[in-house]
This record gives sequence, structure tokens and C-alpha cells, in this order.
Amino acid sequence: MIETINQHIFRAYDIRGLYGKDIDPTVFYRIGLGAGTYLLKHMGKTKITVGNDLRQSSHSLVHAFISGLTATGAQVTFTGTTSFGQTLFAGWKNDQDLISFVTASHLPPEWNGVKFYFGDGVGLPEEELMKIRDYVLQHQWTERAWQDIKPVIPIDPIRSYADFFRSNFSYKKPIRVAVDCGGASMTLSVPSIIKDLGLDLVPVYCEPDPSFSQRPSDPKEENLKTLVSTVKKESCDFGVAFDGDGDRSVIVDNKGNVLSADQTGIILGKYGIPSKGGTVIVNVECSKAVEEQLTHIGYTIKQIQVGHTFLTLYAKKERSPLGIESSGHLILPQYFLFDDAFVIPLKIAEILDSTSQSLHDLLKDIPIYPRKKLEIPCSDETKFDVITHLAKECTNEYDDVNTLDGVRVSLEKGWALVRASNTSPIIRLTAEADTEKDLNEITTLFEKKTERYVDEMKMAAHMA
Amino acid sequence: MTELFGTNGIRGIVNKDMTSDFALQIGKAWGTYLQRKTDNPSVVIGTDARLSNTMLKYSITAGFLATGCDVTDIGLVPTPSLQYTVRMKQFDSGVMITASHNPPEFNGIKGIDADGTEFSKKTEEEIEGIYFSKCYKLVSWDAVGSYKTWDGANDLYLNGILSTVDIDAIKDHGFHVVLDCGNGAGSVVAPLLLKKLGCKVTELYCEPDGRFPGHPSEPVPENVKELIRTVKEEQADLGIAQDGDADRAIFIDEKGAYVWGDQTLSLFANYHTKNKKNCIVVTPVTSSTSLDDVVEKNNGIVVHTQVGSPIVARVMREKNAVFGGEENGGLIFPELQYCRDSAMTLAKMLELLTVTERSLSSLLSDIPQYIVVKKKIHCKDSIKQEVMRSIHDDVLNDDNVIRIDTTDGLKLYFKNGWVLMRPSGTEPLFRIYAEAKWSRDAEDLSKSFCTIVQDHIQKHERT
Repeated sequence: MIETINQHIFRAYDIRGLYGKDIDPTVFYRIGLGAGTYLLKHMGKTKITVGNDLRQSSHSLVHAFISGLTATGAQVTFTGTTSFGQTLFAGWKNDQDLISFVTASHLPPEWNGVKFYFGDGVGLPEEELMKIRDYVLQHQWTERAWQDIKPVIPIDPIRSYADFFRSNFSYKKPIRVAVDCGGASMTLSVPSIIKDLGLDLVPVYCEPDPSFSQRPSDPKEENLKTLVSTVKKESCDFGVAFDGDGDRSVIVDNKGNVLSADQTGIILGKYGIPSKGGTVIVNVECSKAVEEQLTHIGYTIKQIQVGHTFLTLYAKKERSPLGIESSGHLILPQYFLFDDAFVIPLKIAEILDSTSQSLHDLLKDIPIYPRKKLEIPCSDETKFDVITHLAKECTNEYDDVNTLDGVRVSLEKGWALVRASNTSPIIRLTAEADTEKDLNEITTLFEKKTERYVDEMKMAAHMA
Repeated sequence: MTELFGTNGIRGIVNKDMTSDFALQIGKAWGTYLQRKTDNPSVVIGTDARLSNTMLKYSITAGFLATGCDVTDIGLVPTPSLQYTVRMKQFDSGVMITASHNPPEFNGIKGIDADGTEFSKKTEEEIEGIYFSKCYKLVSWDAVGSYKTWDGANDLYLNGILSTVDIDAIKDHGFHVVLDCGNGAGSVVAPLLLKKLGCKVTELYCEPDGRFPGHPSEPVPENVKELIRTVKEEQADLGIAQDGDADRAIFIDEKGAYVWGDQTLSLFANYHTKNKKNCIVVTPVTSSTSLDDVVEKNNGIVVHTQVGSPIVARVMREKNAVFGGEENGGLIFPELQYCRDSAMTLAKMLELLTVTERSLSSLLSDIPQYIVVKKKIHCKDSIKQEVMRSIHDDVLNDDNVIRIDTTDGLKLYFKNGWVLMRPSGTEPLFRIYAEAKWSRDAEDLSKSFCTIVQDHIQKHERT
């Protein structure tokens, strides 16, 4: 039994830990008490919808978590074991104040955790999550008297979720799509709805498998070999893979090429949204191709910091039609704000339904620029100061500098982004350019600029 | 002696001594106990209608899952429905979240064995031992138990009850029954049962509501006044009230008279032993002499046990008894299962009225009546045993005592009645029961032995 809670389980976007080591039912009971206190005391509200992914440890964690919430007087609606989207959808439709989903996303099966969202699907920003953390670690909660305890309402969101997609998507052609759920939570919703909608489903790892024994639940290209070969062998129009909980999807074209989130986002913006106006939200790591491809057809681009929480937050603020996070979170707010990845393949199928061109053909006009990533070692104590100094220098030197998250400098032939890692003693340099030659020039330039400050800081620290 | 478990499971005030954290630890202890006994244990869990039920259900469930037990949640059920499900669906254990008839601020946890009977003291002691040692057998992430819900338990139970009676014969009678579920768990079964038996039903407080807005959940006379009035007004054949978790039933006859649990117990004992020989009926030492009278008249045998329905149920099974129960309206019909069961009692009552073609008041006129006086006297837990011993030593010299029974406490038989003195298992109290044919004798017996108990308590408090 875990007696003291490791504060490092509270992260910028969620709570995560190893089952039996960092987290267990007792810890989750206390997190429930903290989250309930946040809901009732800080927000002054009561309603929360809770669901869990199909990891084996989710069962014990979600029950303890709900029990803690209930003890503080929260009105809990429990969706049970679902995909991420089913629970978020239920919370959004039922006008909830908070939504929680027990999952460790794409991490290995021995991990688990919990994510928090407001009722409209916008994720709780770090400073709000830290309030929950403080309630938990400082034992600031009240277990209410019997008359304030509200019985949990169990609901089954399967039907209303499926109905929503049935009323929003229809297809004339039997688009052939290979679906790779990796045995994870999307097995609970995607295959049946895809078939219902009249698409031609080719299942890959679509049986529930709580230990993720068939492929790791992170849908990185090296984990998608079966999907790629299935798309080619079965002559599919496209393929899609999801991560463990179902808030990220990766698209594979009909030739078996794995698309980046930027490419998928461009396809959605160019062909999936009739109005072609408004502000598309992209983060600072997104390719310059996004801006090039989307501004000239009518969109405005807004660059924001890395993190899917910001994606939904800005999309709400800007009433955006589209949001693209380079890590694979994509949103289409015409349906809902949250990043239920299921909507992405349905939109791709809709695009293919209305054109005679293949997905591979549509991708031909979209350039892929060479890109490079470097890691520069730098102590945790100085890494943020390095970024501050570099930001000052670059702002003086260049016209187009974004310092929202690290330093991002746009140049004529490319761009560079320098960010301090939140978790390790590292500064990350990412650059993208028109040609390999330009890329090398930009990378070398910014590597030198950064290293100069790293060395200066090191010297200063040494002198002190 | 168990510290957590009382006569009927663990009870406490919600979020004071009965918290989620506590339930979580009990789940782990109980799960560890099951893991020691069997591979891949399975547990079924249900609740009555209290507001805090799901809170406690979810936390104890988390404890079971963390020790690798699979959990099936059957939702809102009467306690006997859960007990029936445990046995019929072959679960290793059953968990009932209920505080029975206690006020709404209470809640509790009751344990059911694989055979559907309530936990024995031995099992409760083992689980408590694990709880206090905190030596839980928590499993790794991949061995955590699975959770599912099942909504078929009450149907299974209802059909089980119906299979024991002649439905058509009861239907032909067309009984009019006033049903008072007291907003308890009985609401989800009893109305349906009566409809299936072709009764005209007048429902009182048949919506589950953990605040018990209708009346307090114990079916004592002052809480069922509306039931009595309705039976009279509507000229119904029968009135019935259930307690919070629907294991106990109290009847109102067609004239509107409150029928005491003792009377119902004797009525059914008579029904089950009539025209048979050497049939065994089991009841605690607290029950009325009228039960002995009717059973002995029918050449049957009464076995007296300690107080507590789990004990009665177990002795019934050992002795192959035809019937058993307690004086509080908790009746056990072994043809369905070895536990107190109010819905089954209701079905059997309708069968009795059908078979005999008599009214309840007329059937009761056959049952000998005794007067019982019940008193309680405050006594510290620490001196209860010494007080008991010294009273025992004293009465050995009393020539008026015909017989002494020490099955539970001290029961003394006199020519004109009996007295039972027993320390409560759950509260700092002595309970004194006195019974006689005549009211005056009962009062006198009660008065003199209350004084004796009081004196002994004072003596021991001084020392």
C-alpha cells in the first residue's frame, strides 16, 4: 500500500504513474477527494462525468477515484470502460462541470493515470491541475455528511455517441479503411460505428487487449508495420491507428505512407472544411507547410505553445475550425472541441467520398520539408535563463520571433525553435528549411547561439 | 469477539466511522481472505437505497479489484436477493451495503458466504485479523480484477420465490394487499411479486429513497400507522411493511391489527409442522413460548440458539429444519434459501391464507398469546461478563427457578413465565426480556430482574 503520494505523478497535462509503485486505489481515492474539493470548493459546482480506458488496473483505480469524489459531495456520472471520446462526449452532452478519464494514454500497460477536462472538453491547464495536486498533498478536503452524498449515476454512452456520428457523417461510397486500435480503448467504439456508417472496415488489432501485447500503444511509425502492410495488401483507401486512449490518430495513405499530423491537418483544412476561413491553431513545432498551404486559401494561422490543452483552449477562444498539434492531436470544433481522434478518419473518409482522387494524390501538392532535431545538454537550474537570453537576442535581431513557448524564429528559408525540456536537463533545437543545405545552416546557427548562452551560464554559475 | 462486525455486519455513521477509506481497506482485507481460499475469486455486490451506498460500494469494489477479485455489481437489491444470487450464480462471496433499519445517517457492510448464508463469526474474525495486520495481498497491474454490472439479480430472485408457491391458486383468490416498502430496497421486488401473484396492490412508500421520507425504516407500530389506517380504510386482506434492506417483514391483519413478529413466527411454525412428525424449527432464545407450544403440539422439536440470524440459519441447515426465524420478523424458509427473506415471507403468507381459506386474524386466534416485556439497562462493555457470572451464581440458590438455559445470556424459567438477561453484542447494554401468560406476571418478573441486574452492575462498577 502506498502511504505517501509521490508529487511527481502530478504533471503538466495529467496525472501519471506506475501502478503499484506510484499509484494504487488509496492514492486514487485521495485524488478523488482532491478533485472533488476542486470541483465543489474552487469551482463552486457539483457535476462530474468519469470514465476509464480498458487497462486492467483502470478498474480498481476508477472505483476508488469515484468514491473519493462522491465523499466530497460531487454528483458523479460513471460511463464505465469506454474510449476517451465516449466519456468526453457524454460529459459534454450532459452539461457537466468537469470530465475525468482514467488512462495513461499511449504509455505501456503497467502505467496509469487520470486526465481532467472542463465540461466543454477543454483540458485543465497546468495551474488548475496544480490546485488539485495541492488539495491532495495538503489533505485539504472535507468528507461530507450523509445527506450531502449523491448516489453515482451509471450511464452507457455507446448509443448516443454512435447516433451523433450517424447524424453527422454519411457516405456514398464504401470507402475501404484499415483500422488499428492496438487492442486499446478505441476497440470499444470505432469498429462497430465504422461498419454502421457503411464504410468497408479492415480491422487490425481491433479486439480488446488490456496488456497491449500486439503493438505498443504509442502509434509511432515503427509500431505501425502491420497497419501499413494491411493497407497495401488489402488495397485500402487509407488506414488509421489510434493511441491507447484515443485522443491521437495517425493516418496512412493508400500507398502505405504514414502521414505526419501536419500533413493530415493540411488535408483536413484544404478539403474537409467548406468555409475555408477563420483561424487555424497550430503549435510552434508545426511545419511551415501548414501556413503555406492554408493561408492562401483563406485561413489565418495562429501559432501557440506546445501542449494539447492549449490547442482546445485557443480553438475555443478563436472559434477555430481546425487545430493541429504536431504530436498528433487534431481537432475539428465543428463537431466538438475535445480531441476525440475518431472524428479524424471519419473526416478523411468524407473527403475521399467526395473526390475521385486517392489520398496519395491529394498529398502530392503538399511539400515535406527537411527537418532536424538536436538536444543540447544544459542544467535544470540554467536552462530557462538560457532561453530568456536567447529570446532577447533573437527579438532584436529578427523580424518574426515567437516567444510563447521557447524561441521560434521564422526565416526566409525555414525556421528554428529552441525550447527547454520540462522534464530533463536538456534544451531542444528543432529546425525546418526548404533544402538540406538551408537546414544545416539554420541548425548550426542556432546551435551556436544556444551553446554560447549555455557556456556563459555555466561559467557564471561556476564563478558564483 | 469481533471488533468491527456486530450481529449483522459492520455498521457506522457515514463519513464519520463508515468512510470510503475504511471500506477500501475492508475490501482489500476481504479480497486477501478470498485469495487465500480460492483461485480467481469472484464477488457480487449490491446495495439498499441509502444515499451513501454507491460511495461505499465503489470503494470496497476498488479494494476487491486491487486484490485480484472479479466484481459483479447488481445494483439496488433486497439483501435476500443478493444472497440468492451468490448461491445460484456461484460467487465466492457476496457484499451487501446496507444498515438495514438504522436511521439514514448510518450505513454498513454485510458479508455473505458462497452458500448464501451470512458470514459466520469465524470468517468475520479472519477478515478483521487481516484488516488490523494490514497484510493485504495486492496484485500487480496485470492481475487486477475485472468489474462488470448485471441487472438480472432481482428477476432471478423473484422467479425463485414464485417457483415455491402455487401461483394460480393465489391468483384465484384475488387478494388486496397494502404494501409499505418504507422507501427501502424492497421497492424493487415486492410490488412486482404481488402483481405476479394477481393481487390488487395499494403501494405506500414504494420508491427507493435513502432519506426515508415516508417514515423511519424500522417497522415498529409507531412507524406503520399509515399502513394500518390504509388497510382499514381500503378493507384490504393484508398489510405488510418491510425494513430497509427487506429481509424482515411485519404484517397487519385484515382488521388493522399490528401482528408482532413472534405471532408470525408461531403461525408459520404451526403451518410447517402440522400433520408431520419430528420436524425441527430453529429460533433464538429470545422467541416466545407460543412457538414451543404450537410446535410441541404438532409433535415437532424446537431448537433454541444464540441470538443472530446467521446462527439460526446455520443451525437450520445442520439440523435440516423445516422452518426458522427471529421474533423481529426475520423468517427463514429453507425451501428457497437459508436467510431472512421478507418477499418470500409475503409469498408464503399469501399461500397460507389461500390454503387455509381463512383470514389472518382468524389464523392468529389459534396461536397462544404471551405477554413480553423488554427492557434495557446501561452497562459498560468491560464488566458485562463479570456481571453475567455473578448473577448466574446468585440464581443457583433460587428455588423458584425450574430450569436454567445459558445458550445466550441467562434464561431462567419459572412456573408462570421466563426471564432472559443478556449483554448486547453491539451496544453498552444489558437486555432483559420477561415473558408470561399474564401481563401482571410479566411485569413483576421484569421489574424484579431489572433490579437484580442493576444491583450487580452497581456492585461491579464500585469494584
